[in-house]
Amino acid sequence: MRKSYKGLLSIFAIMALLLASACSGGNETSGDQSGDAAKDGAVSAKVGVISWLTGAGAGYGEAITNGLKLANKEIKEQGKVDIELITEDSAGKQEQALSSAQKLMNSENVSAIIGPTLSTEMKVVGPEADLNGVPIMGTSTTAAGIPQIGDYVFRDSIPESLAIPASIEKAIEKYDVKKVAILYGNDDVFTKSGYDTMKKVAEDKGLEILTTETFQKGQADYNAQLTKIKNTQPDLILCSALYNEGAVIMDQARKMGIDVPFVGGNGFNSPEVIKIAGDAADGLIVATPWFAGKDDQKVQDFVAKYKEEYGKEPDQFAAQAYDGMYLLANAIEKAGSDDRDAIRDALAETEGFEGILGEMSFDEEGDIVMEPTVLTIKEGKFQLFE
Amino acid sequence: MLAEIINPYYLQVLSFILINIILGVSIYITLSTGQLSLGHAGFMSIGAYTSAILTLNYDFPLVVGVILGALLAGIVGILIGIPTLRLQGVYLAIATLGFGEVVRVLFINWESLTQGAIGISSIPHFGRELVTGLRDTGFTADMIGIRNNQLISLLVFIILLVITVLLITFFVRQNHSRVGRAFAAIKMDENAAEAMGINITYYKVLAFAQGAMVAGFAGALYAHVTAYISPSDFAYHRAVEILIFAVFGGSEVIWGPIFGATFLTAMPELLREVSEYRYMIYGIILVAMMAFRPQGLIDHEMIYKIKSRKKKKKKVEDDKKERNRHGVGS
Repeated sequence: MRKSYKGLLSIFAIMALLLASACSGGNETSGDQSGDAAKDGAVSAKVGVISWLTGAGAGYGEAITNGLKLANKEIKEQGKVDIELITEDSAGKQEQALSSAQKLMNSENVSAIIGPTLSTEMKVVGPEADLNGVPIMGTSTTAAGIPQIGDYVFRDSIPESLAIPASIEKAIEKYDVKKVAILYGNDDVFTKSGYDTMKKVAEDKGLEILTTETFQKGQADYNAQLTKIKNTQPDLILCSALYNEGAVIMDQARKMGIDVPFVGGNGFNSPEVIKIAGDAADGLIVATPWFAGKDDQKVQDFVAKYKEEYGKEPDQFAAQAYDGMYLLANAIEKAGSDDRDAIRDALAETEGFEGILGEMSFDEEGDIVMEPTVLTIKEGKFQLFE
Repeated sequence: MLAEIINPYYLQVLSFILINIILGVSIYITLSTGQLSLGHAGFMSIGAYTSAILTLNYDFPLVVGVILGALLAGIVGILIGIPTLRLQGVYLAIATLGFGEVVRVLFINWESLTQGAIGISSIPHFGRELVTGLRDTGFTADMIGIRNNQLISLLVFIILLVITVLLITFFVRQNHSRVGRAFAAIKMDENAAEAMGINITYYKVLAFAQGAMVAGFAGALYAHVTAYISPSDFAYHRAVEILIFAVFGGSEVIWGPIFGATFLTAMPELLREVSEYRYMIYGIILVAMMAFRPQGLIDHEMIYKIKSRKKKKKKVEDDKKERNRHGVGS
C-alpha cells in the first residue's frame, strides 16, 4: 500500500515541478511594471488576449488577433498609451480558456483582458475575472447574459437581441410581412440564442408564426423542413443559422422554389454565404455592426491597412477586435495608470466613442450601445438595405 | 510567504488534471473487465446536470448534489450495463457511443430543465461557496495572508486532491481483493472465468456501474469547478478524450490512465510557449506513442520491472551491508 501512495506523490511532485519550471520564465518579468510614465509620458499597461488560435475555429481567433495587433500598432505610434499584448490560446475549450485566464491574471499580472472568443468560454472566464477585479471585454461574444455576469465584464460586439430586431423591423417595413416561418439550429448556443430573440420579436410585432423547424449542426439535407415551410406560404423566413449551414439552406430553398427573403442572425453574416450559395444568397437580410463598404474615411483606411498587412479583407471579427483595442486603450489613457479598477471605471464611462463600427457607448451593465447597419445581399454583393 | 507560492493558475491546471484523473480511473474500471465504453461523456453529463440542477434550482447543498449526481449516473450505468452485457469490443463501444449521444440530445431538447444548447450558467462554485461559508464562521483569506482568489483556488485543489487520493486508494485496494481478481479473470477469458464459478453478469455490471458512477462524480465536480455547463461539453470528442487517457497511459494497471490524464492535460499547458504549434506537437506525441508502445506507456511489465529493480537494489545493498559487517567482523 505504501508504495502506491509514494507513486502518487511522486507523480504530483513531477507535475508540480514541470509546471513551475515551464512557467517561471513568465513570472519573473511580471510585477515590476507599476504603470505610468514609462516613456514620454505614455501610459504603459499589459493586456491579456484569450483567443481561439488552434483547432476548428482558428479562423476567428486569427481575425481577432490580427485586428488587435493592427490597432495596437497604431496606438503605439500615436504614443499616448504603450500596451503590451500577451496572447494565449483557448482552443475553443472552456477549461483551457479558464486556465489561460488564470495565467494572465496571476502569472502575467495583466491590467485587462480582451476575449475569449466564444460566449461559452466567457461564461466560465467572466465570473473568475470579475471575482479578481480584472476588466474583461469580449469582442465576439453575442449571446444573452454576458455583461450581466459582473461589473468587470464588457463587450463591444452587438448582441443578437439588438441586431435581429433591427433587421426584422426593416424587413417588415419593406415587404409588409404578416406571416413568418422560423428555422433554427437547436444544438448551438449561438443559433439557439438567436432563435429566442427572433421568436420574441415576431411575437412583439404581432406576426403570425406559421411553423418552427429545427436542424442540427453539420446537417446537409434540409428538404424536409423546407417543404413544410413552403407549404405554409410565409412572407418571410427567419433563419437562425451559422453561415456554413445557412448558405446550404438558402441554396436548397431557392431550388425548391421558395423565393421569399430570409432574415438571419449575426452568424449568417459572412461573405462566405455568397461564395457557397451563389445567386441563391440574394434576398438575405442581416443586421451587422460591420459594413466594409461604408462610406467613411476611417472604415476605408482600416480596410486598406488590414489588406496590406494581412493580405485579405477584414471581417466583422477583425473589425470588432480593432475597435475593442481602441476602446480599451482609450480607457487606459483616461485612467492614467495600469490600475485594474481605474481602467474598469474609465471603460464603464465610455460614451460616444467613434470607431469603425460606428458610435459606441457602454450601458450601465457593460453592454454595447450602438446602431447596427442592416444589409442585404443583392446581385451577389452585400449592400445597404433600404 | 504563502501568498507568493500560491498561484491560482497552477492550481487551476492541477484541478483540471485531478478531474481528468478521476475520469481516467472511471474508464479504467470498465476496461478492467474488458468492456470498451464510449459512453463515459454521457455518464459525466448526467452527473454534471443532476448536480447543477439540484443545487441551482432546488437549493440542495453542494455535497448532496454531487453525491446524487454520481448515484444517478451509477443507476443509469446499471440500466445500460445489463442489456449491453452480451456485446463485446467494438459493438459495445458503438452501443455506448449511441447512449452518449442520446443523453446529449436529451439535454439539448429538454429545454424547460436544461435550457437547451445555451447551457446552465452561474452554477454554485466549490471554492466560492466554501469561502463565503468560511467567512460566516469568521475565517477569511487575510488571516493566513493570502488573497481571496488564492484561497478559492487552493480550497478547490485540496478538496479535489483528497477526493482523488481516496478514490485511487479505494480502487487499488479493490484490485487486490476478490472483486479485482474476478475483474482480471473476466478480462483474460470470460468463459474460463465462468467455468471457475465467477458470476460474470454480476461483476461485469458492477464494473460498468462503478465506471459510470465515477464518471458522473467527475462530471458533477467539473460542473462546480467551471460553474457553467452546456451539452456540447459532453459530446463525442469528450468520450474519445477520456478513452485516450487510458489508451495513452496504458489500461492494464490503474497508474496508466492516471499518468495518461496527467500528462495529456498538462501537455497543452506546458506547450503554451510555442503557441499555435502546441496541438501539432501534442498530436505527434500521440502518434509516436501509439507507434512505439501500443499497449500504453505503463503496463504490467513496466511495473514489474520497477518493482524488481527496487528489490534487486535493496538486495545488493543488503548484501553489501552484510559483507561489510562480515569484513569488519573478520
